[in-house]
Amino acid sequence: MENKPVQENAARNSDLKKAGKSFASMLKRLFVREKDYMSILEEEALQTPGKTIMKNFFRQTLGVVGLVVFILVLCFSFIGSRLNPIDLTYVETSLRNIRPSQNFLNYPKELVREGVKQVSSGISFSLGLSEKGKVYVWGAEPSYIMENYSTPVLKIPQEVRDNEIVQVAAGDRFALALDAQGRLYGWGVNNFKQAEVPDALQMRLSRKKVAEILGGEQYAAVLFEDGEIFVWGCTMPNQLNKAVPEGIQGRIKKAVAAPMNVILLLDDGTVATIGIPSNTVATVPEELTDGSVNVVEIAASYRAVMALDDKGKLYAWGNMDHGVLDIPDYDGKVVAMDAGKNNFTMLLDTGKVVYWGADHFGQLKMPAGLEKQKVTQIYTDYFQNYAITEDGAIRAWGNKGFVFGTDEQGRDILTRIIHGGRISLTVGAIAVVIEVIIALIVGLSAGFFGGWLDNALMRLTDIFMSIPFLPIAITLSSIVVGKVSEMNRIYMIMVILGVLGWMGLARLVRAQILVEREKDFVLAARALGVKQKNIIVRHILPNVFNLVIVNITLGYAGSLLSEAGLSFLGFGVAPPTPSWGNMLTTAQSTAVIEYYWWRWVIPGLFVFIAALSINLVGDALREAMDPRASEK
Amino acid sequence: MLRYIIKRLISLIPVIIIVSIMLFALTKMMPGDPAKHMLNPGLKLEQYEAAYNAMRIKLGLDQSYFVQYFRWVGNTIQGEFGWSSLYNRPVKDAVAEPMQNTIILNILVIILDLALTIPVGIYCAVKRGSIFDRFWQVFSLATYSMPSFFVALSLIFFIALKLKLLPAGGMPITAYGKDFYYYTSWLKYMLLPAITLVIIGIAGTIRYVRNAMLDALNEDYIRTARSKGLSEKVVIYSHAFRNALIPISTIFIWTIFSLFSGAAITETIFAWNGLGRVLVKAVSNRDIQLVCTMNLFFSMLSIFSNFVADLTYGFIDPRIKLE
Repeated sequence: MENKPVQENAARNSDLKKAGKSFASMLKRLFVREKDYMSILEEEALQTPGKTIMKNFFRQTLGVVGLVVFILVLCFSFIGSRLNPIDLTYVETSLRNIRPSQNFLNYPKELVREGVKQVSSGISFSLGLSEKGKVYVWGAEPSYIMENYSTPVLKIPQEVRDNEIVQVAAGDRFALALDAQGRLYGWGVNNFKQAEVPDALQMRLSRKKVAEILGGEQYAAVLFEDGEIFVWGCTMPNQLNKAVPEGIQGRIKKAVAAPMNVILLLDDGTVATIGIPSNTVATVPEELTDGSVNVVEIAASYRAVMALDDKGKLYAWGNMDHGVLDIPDYDGKVVAMDAGKNNFTMLLDTGKVVYWGADHFGQLKMPAGLEKQKVTQIYTDYFQNYAITEDGAIRAWGNKGFVFGTDEQGRDILTRIIHGGRISLTVGAIAVVIEVIIALIVGLSAGFFGGWLDNALMRLTDIFMSIPFLPIAITLSSIVVGKVSEMNRIYMIMVILGVLGWMGLARLVRAQILVEREKDFVLAARALGVKQKNIIVRHILPNVFNLVIVNITLGYAGSLLSEAGLSFLGFGVAPPTPSWGNMLTTAQSTAVIEYYWWRWVIPGLFVFIAALSINLVGDALREAMDPRASEK
Repeated sequence: MLRYIIKRLISLIPVIIIVSIMLFALTKMMPGDPAKHMLNPGLKLEQYEAAYNAMRIKLGLDQSYFVQYFRWVGNTIQGEFGWSSLYNRPVKDAVAEPMQNTIILNILVIILDLALTIPVGIYCAVKRGSIFDRFWQVFSLATYSMPSFFVALSLIFFIALKLKLLPAGGMPITAYGKDFYYYTSWLKYMLLPAITLVIIGIAGTIRYVRNAMLDALNEDYIRTARSKGLSEKVVIYSHAFRNALIPISTIFIWTIFSLFSGAAITETIFAWNGLGRVLVKAVSNRDIQLVCTMNLFFSMLSIFSNFVADLTYGFIDPRIKLE
């Protein structure tokens, strides 16, 4: 046998240190030119293989495009996740299924031109009323598909456009408008009939004048000038369907809506609540109920209430989450106050605005220059804040919208794509590293040592080859569930992908070694008297490594897709940790596919773009390393 | 020839044994207690205890893993696959219908695959470098990078929901009896999953056919045929394509077998009651015996497919001596 000496020599040369050294020098030679002095002609002739490959690679447009796109995706996920940290526990279900939009704060110019009379916001939209009595609406449609009898909230009904409107109110996902003749209109989500006027109210409306209309969480309320309040919509769980107590009904001056209660300011300056009687919002401080303090203004966030007395003193009670009860220091007298979902805003007599509370959507990031202007009105609702300045301009801050929309739990898809990308790209990369390490160990030892070891390793490869990937990956993943923590589960997915994916490369490496060993240049080297060790390291291995590098890139795309598929089925990265695959798990019903398309299109596109760019790089690399391939 | 087949079969035995041991270990590691799954949960506590122990003995769970393994192998060889707790009937019966559904779907996929990839692959090879060729090169690279669920969801969105041409998923309904409408509705329900599987698989196959055809076209006998003055048509179809068929046949054999387990995601999305979907359901519901049987089936199928591919190679190509 001609190649016997090669095997023997390789076998003899088992000294690990030596092998490691020659391996390192081989890698070095692949990419770094040796430093020996060379004449111009020599240098021309002896371009390092790495340089040649680079040159060939950058000649291919598609490959370069792929590389650039992939680097962009990497930066997007890895730098983006540093800049934009994720709070896995934060969900805001009211913001669910909102389409990609950035226009929550984009009020129409006409509104400013006509003069702002009132602004009221729902979760993702705002209503504006101009001095001329015209209603404007802007923002994004909240989730309303599958809710009965609902109409788009962004589409103002014809009657509302035709009549002169004097007051508007936005509920969470519906809108109300009152015209000069005392007629009430409603539109938007109507699953509890909150956006239509009940008969009992219709009768009252024809008799009495309305003082105030209120949009709450799936319920609405009207306060009449004679101090009577009427509540309708979803009034069962919050007990607002109970009759208003005798001593309160007819004495109400102002009402503000919280999800479980309506907080009422009575004509004697005391505060009362209706709705759930026992929660923290309903436990009004004693001095506000016994008549010792004269309250002039109230405001309610989601689970906290503020009250202002005639001496300028503030009272706050309720749930202290998000720091809503920590009133900051301020100079001046409070003239107005309003509340968002978890934040408060106050306007002082100096024209300054004071605000505090939650800051998930930039509710506390006031626009630049506002502190120098004199504000005359403030409107805060949910996550949007509007300040009207002296010269009639609107300054808005808070939730601008979601570039990629939100998912079924109201989580920002952009943030989840960024962090999911970090997880998916890492899982894929480490899976490939595991794959390549196993493949190299098996392929190299089978190719070089031959004999019984080759036989045994190839049988092992056969066995792993006959394991069907998806079924075994799913089964393995289900074994891992529940036994390890969430983070360890991600590591296990890497191992599963790696262990089930090395066979092809191992066979290729072995075959390549066997092929290269028989090539003429090896024969020539041998004839020149080059040492066996050097033949292996300098002549055979570089040719094998080209193959490995191409396969690393193609394998990376493959394991990225495998991870996405596994996570999609629920056997990969487990929620709430995002990955590009598991973001699609909940997007399988036809309603989601059709109406909330951004929930599957965007993560799907990211997997596609990442995999495609890697494949383009791999393809270009293959052609760069083997110029003969491009002749095909 | 026969000697070769027997030799190959014998060499498969250790592989089968080791794979079966691995699968057995996997099954034992799966969470859940098969004896518990088979009991009536309505039993009273003291009855439950006794019934549980009896069931463990009946299933042989009280014995060592060594004994259990051989019991399992023995049962499997006799066609006794155990009880599916998910479907509450023998595994054999639970799998019968999905198997039929998967096979029907696979046949459609293979027909579509053949009808599309072979002409396109040949044409790409013959008109190498043309716009047509480049288009399919880019297209195949794109579909190769596309996650299957994305293809499936896109098809549902455009074809089923926007154009309303085909149902978004599900199975034909038997409620009105098996009339003509019933049989045509099979095609209606199958078309979208089949198209999905074709789109995903097409990338590799077209490239493979194209390269096989290119290799054949570069052979000396093609030059000989051309120099004899044969028409290009005869050269391509009679000389080149027949020779390219050798590698093409193997890839189609692999495709046929890989469709059995590889279609799990597609079947799940389209609610097509095939083997892949049943597997996903079985694993999620911890139906250990069903999972075990299906994994064994898929593994054996994959071993068998390699074996068949090897044999066909020998059958079709007279240059390969099967010794």
